[in-house]
Amino acid sequence: MGKRKSLIKIKPKKFKDGEIVKVSFMVMHPMETGMRKDKKTKQIIPAKYINNIKFSYNGKVITTMNVWESLSTNPVFTTYMKINGKGNLTVTYTDNTGEVNEKSKKIKPKG
Amino acid sequence: MQRRDFFKKLGAAAAVAAIAPTISFAADAKKMSGPNDISFKAAVDAVTGGKTPSVSSKIKLKVPEIAENGAVVPVTVEVESPMTETDYVKAIHIFATKNANARCIDVHLTPANGKAMFSTRIKLGGTQEVATVVELSDGSFITASQSVKVTIGGCG
Repeated sequence: MGKRKSLIKIKPKKFKDGEIVKVSFMVMHPMETGMRKDKKTKQIIPAKYINNIKFSYNGKVITTMNVWESLSTNPVFTTYMKINGKGNLTVTYTDNTGEVNEKSKKIKPKG
Repeated sequence: MQRRDFFKKLGAAAAVAAIAPTISFAADAKKMSGPNDISFKAAVDAVTGGKTPSVSSKIKLKVPEIAENGAVVPVTVEVESPMTETDYVKAIHIFATKNANARCIDVHLTPANGKAMFSTRIKLGGTQEVATVVELSDGSFITASQSVKVTIGGCG
């Protein structure tokens, strides 16, 4: 069990097929702007921020985002999504250092 | 008289000491710049391709009027749109007009979203206007903005 890096939340928890639900994607990320100085070492902290996020649902891309450093630390991205059958919601995020991470959640509509 | 003079000097010294840190801080803030720096106008032009977006009441931009902490400012953009295949919101762009890099986020939506709403948290360097430019599927652009008073700066 490592530290939780990201989380996908869907509201409401129980939903039906065809319903429009709220999707929140939270990610633990420093979002360094590259303009801040370390107070102890007086060195500029190198920039490290998420620059691309992709929401895909059953392989179909539904939302893409271009992100810059002016987003806050540990950002949250909230949007809506139409439920269209069983499947997986996958969020892929890339940062400016080339790190790619992925988080997915199973979608199980009831009724 | 000597005692009076002494207090005068003391007062002057205290005033200088109080002002000095703010001066040095302002100089530091000017020096700092990132590789992605872009002004608000240039950023909007890059998004719209030179077109001037029209102000519209279709957009609901929710930003606190006074933000206590500039490092975390919640922003919500909601656009009235049916979100069908023929009429939907293509993209939502959020700008912080006076940040070194005015661009915050571009969100490209599709009809599969069902509702044109996006919310996130941004950093603001100081008191400024937060603006949003929305691209509709017919190629037109609409905009809305609101000023935010920041008591403690978040970045830059």
